[in-house]
This record gives sequence, structure tokens and C-alpha cells, in this order.
Amino acid sequence: MAEAARVNPLVPQVGRITKIIDETPDVKTFHVTTETGKPFTPLPGQLAMLSLLDVGEAMFSITSQGPDHLELAIKKVGMLTDALHEAEPGQSVGIRGPYGNGFPLEMMRGKDLLFIGGGIGLAPVRSLINYCIEHRKDYGHLWIIYGARSPADLCFKDDLFNNWPKVENCRVDVTVDRGDDTWQGHEGFVPAFVEELNPAPEGKVAITCGPPIMIKFVLQSMEKLGFKDEQIVTTLEMRMKCGIGKCGRCNLGSCYVCLDGPVFTLAQLKKLPNEY
Amino acid sequence: MLKIGQDKLPELISAWAGGARVFVPQEREGTSIFTPWDGKGKLTLGQGNTLEPPKDLFFPRTEAMYRYQVNGPAATLETLPPLEEKRVLVGIRSCDARSLLIMDDVFLTRGYVDEFYRQRRENTRIVALACNEAQPACFCTAFGIDPGRAEGADVQMWPGEGGYLLEAITDAGKELLKQAGNLLEEAGNAHPPAAAAPGLQVDTGGVTEKLQRMFEHPYWTAVSRKCLGCGACTYLCPTCHCFDIQGENQGDSGYKFRCWDSCMFSEYTRMAGGHNPRPSKKERLRNRFLHKLQYFPERYGKFACVGCGRCLDRCPVNVDITRVIREVKEVTL
Repeated sequence: MAEAARVNPLVPQVGRITKIIDETPDVKTFHVTTETGKPFTPLPGQLAMLSLLDVGEAMFSITSQGPDHLELAIKKVGMLTDALHEAEPGQSVGIRGPYGNGFPLEMMRGKDLLFIGGGIGLAPVRSLINYCIEHRKDYGHLWIIYGARSPADLCFKDDLFNNWPKVENCRVDVTVDRGDDTWQGHEGFVPAFVEELNPAPEGKVAITCGPPIMIKFVLQSMEKLGFKDEQIVTTLEMRMKCGIGKCGRCNLGSCYVCLDGPVFTLAQLKKLPNEY
Repeated sequence: MLKIGQDKLPELISAWAGGARVFVPQEREGTSIFTPWDGKGKLTLGQGNTLEPPKDLFFPRTEAMYRYQVNGPAATLETLPPLEEKRVLVGIRSCDARSLLIMDDVFLTRGYVDEFYRQRRENTRIVALACNEAQPACFCTAFGIDPGRAEGADVQMWPGEGGYLLEAITDAGKELLKQAGNLLEEAGNAHPPAAAAPGLQVDTGGVTEKLQRMFEHPYWTAVSRKCLGCGACTYLCPTCHCFDIQGENQGDSGYKFRCWDSCMFSEYTRMAGGHNPRPSKKERLRNRFLHKLQYFPERYGKFACVGCGRCLDRCPVNVDITRVIREVKEVTL
């Protein structure tokens, strides 16, 4: 039995949720561990297949990890995520992975990094931000530009306002589409905010993730600012079932996003069919 | 070269059935499929190819993978083992034999081996049957397949006068022929008959390269207009291998299984939240043809079509992959 469990990559490990953090009205971060500790050790940008055994299974980015747990920030959008949002600490889950290529750490080494996130799109990018903070000497200046619909919709507020601004050689700029009575920060959409902040492309790699419409306009802004396609990195989302390039559905041309992605440079994406 | 008379064929199947489950082409409720030989009825090894390909024997329609039991916040999980049954598949044609090599690429390479598929594949001996009668809808030679000699077979059979000629190809094949004992006779100087010329001819040369430049072409809107999205093509295709993972839940326990899925269905790519990268039949049909003729060749170095003709034969609206290949080659860019 144990032998078969080891060889069938589609069978999850049984884990449990140890902690749940309310990020926004519709996003929660779940800490997941197993009896034997951390389920696996992913690279930044890799994915995990998480399931509630009696509900269903879906692929999520891994937003961070600790010595004995993984963190997944999950927005409530469907049957499984609704059920996850009802769960309490101690809830059993199935978890398998890690899947995908992760961010190109070697290509980014020594460069200044510009992170541009929108809404829940900060979740996969955060794994890289935290990695760069842990390996601070290997990367240059870190600049995080992030936006959400409203102040309440900002994910990872503790990181945005407390932790990341204190990191050496790191800058954080936050915007919201529309503020409220107490909001004193910037108001406006992310792409316009990026243009306003006017980051210079020299020596930089830009990493962007957010809603498709935001990514579309951010890419136009980056082009205006003089960033080349090779300097822009994004991470894609697709429906997935197997995670290992066999079940078929997450293909972009002859690439499988679960295996060959989810991280692509814009130069790579432009060679693939525009079908995401 | 050995031979066997038609009348001795049931005895040969019985001899092999001693150590394995033997699957032969048979009619079941009006559909020709590969099923275990039950010793009844007429054993003909089929008139032409079976309606359903034998992929179900290696990649079943549904296959349970693990059971689970949820006890409040706790859960236990029990992995189900792959099938270990020994099998002999008799009467498979060259096209379907090639399809197994295509499935091998998917399930046995690129870092992950599918244990369920591997077990079934390794435990199945292949006895192929050459085609000596043309079928109206097949075109295997378009993909370099020899209808007279199957790739990957353990034993090759040819229809002969009043029976069949047989030749062992692999050691496992020699073992099978040895098991047959004196049912087989030396065929003397008999030669395999000439292979049938397939009913359809199409030249696939350059089609991959042409398709690489056709993703945005209006051709896909035109060709997909009549598609009903029924998925019959993917269901009958010997190389279509897309699957879903689903659960059957009763109270606190249940099991997870994988089952065939189809790129012709909108649910296939629809994400939670509603976004669908292939929202209409145009994108879905395009993906199916590009997968067969461009994406699979790019990834694995071979076409994911074997020219069996089942999809075009059974499509309710006559979407025809040979016609698509011809039209793609003629389209102006």
C-alpha cells in the first residue's frame, strides 16, 4: 500500500490546516502541515494541489512557507474555496506537489526586482519576495507596487505596512482603486500608478501577477517605460487536474502550464498561443 | 512463419487464456469492442477494425485511485493498487498499435510515470492482425504506419487462406506461440498477403509547420461552425488521453477516480470564478486539431493521430480530419 502511495503522483498526502488568517473579506491564508512536518519544500512560484477530500481538489500558488508548514492564500470563488473558507484550524486536507517551474531565480540573481501585484495576484509573487528577503545579498533593490479594489481588499497587510518596508533596500508602494474615509494612501489603478512611479528599466526584472485585465494594462505600461519582454516575468493560472502534464487541459500550445509554467517571461509568452 | 486454421482459432485463444485474460474483437449490443473471449459465438477477429479502440484496456474510462474516510477534522486515505492481471490482446490493428506508443509517451515519460498505465501496459501481450481489406474511412499510411505489420507487437498475424499466418516478434511473442503447442503448423513457404491500401489518402507533409502560423486564422471559425461539441471524436479516438479526477462521496467516506474527459466540453478548461480560456467551440475544435497535428509533434516528435478514421466515420456532422489537413495546407496566410 505504502509502495503504491509513493509511486502514484496523483494521490495526495493527508495534512491538516493549522492556522487560518483573514486577509480580506474574501481571501484567507491557510497554513498546512502533515504528521511528519512540511508536506514538501517548494521553490518560490511553485504550486500545490490542495483538496478537501469530500469536496474537491484544485491548484493553488504557494504564497510562503515556514520550517514545518506551507501557506496558501485562497480567494473564495467556487465550491471548493467556499468550503475551505468555512473550515476551521484542525481541518484535514489532501495536499500534493510541488508543481511547476517556479520563478527564474538564477536569471534574477544580482538584479533589482520590481514586483507589481494586484489583488490575490500578490499571493504567488509573495513567495518570491519572501525568498529574496531570506537571500537578501543575492538580489538588488526590491520594489513592491501593489493595489487592490479597496483598503479592505489589500492582502497581506502586515507585510505591506510593517514587515516589507523595514527590509533593507526595499520599497513598498500601495494603491487602491477607491479609498474609504480612513484611507490616506494613493488612489488609482495599478498600471497608472506604475507609470506615475516611473521605474527605470536598467538592471531590473519586473514580476507581475494580478487579474487578467490588470496584467494586460501593466504590460502596456511596462513597454512604455522601456522594459524589454525578457525583463518581464508573470505567472499564469489555468484549470488543472493532474499537475504533471498528462490530463491535458492546461496547455498553451505544446506547453503545459502545470509543468512548463506557471512562470513565463513575456518573451516566452509571446511565442505561445494567446489562449490564457 | 506458422499458420493456424480458422477452426482452430478458439482453441488457440483458450490455450492463451490459461495464463491470462484474452481480449478479442467481438460484437456487444451492436458495437464492436475488445472484450474477453467467452467461448461462445463466432470468433472472427472482426470485420475491419473495432468501433471502439482498445485504449480502455490500458486507460480505463474510470479508474479508482484511492479511498478516503473523513472523521470530523481527521482523515485517512487508502491507496488502491494498480491492476496486475495478465492479458493478451488479440487482433489489434497497426493503427491502434501505434496509438499505444503515443500513449506511452504521455503516461511513461517526462518525469512522471503513471503506475496504473504502466502495469496494464507491461502485463499485456499484443497479438496484432494485419489489414488485408481496405476500410473506407482509414488513412494510417498518412502517418507512416504499415497496415501489414504493427509496431510494438509481440506476435504479428496475417489473414491467410482458411486461417491465419503468425510470426513471433518478441521473446514474449515466442513464448505465446510456444504455449499454442501443436495447434500451430509450419507454414512452409507461405508469404503474408499484401497489406490493404487504406480507403483515404492524405499528405501530412508540412502540416505542422503550416499550423504553427495559423492559430489566429479565420479558418477555425469556419470549420467549427457545424461542430456540436458532442465529444464522440475524443471518446472514440485511440490517442485522446485527457482525463478528469472526480470523487464519489457517501457521507464521511468515498473514493477518488480518474475518468476520461474531453477538450470538446466547455467545463474542461473553465476556471472557478468563470474565466474560460477556450470559451467557444472554435477554440475547442482548434485545440483538438492543433494538439493532434502541431502540439503533440512539437512535444513528442510524432503526430497524435493514427489514421484509424473512427472520428470522421462517427462524427454526426462530418467533421473530417483528413479534410482539415487538406484545407489547412491550401489556406492562404
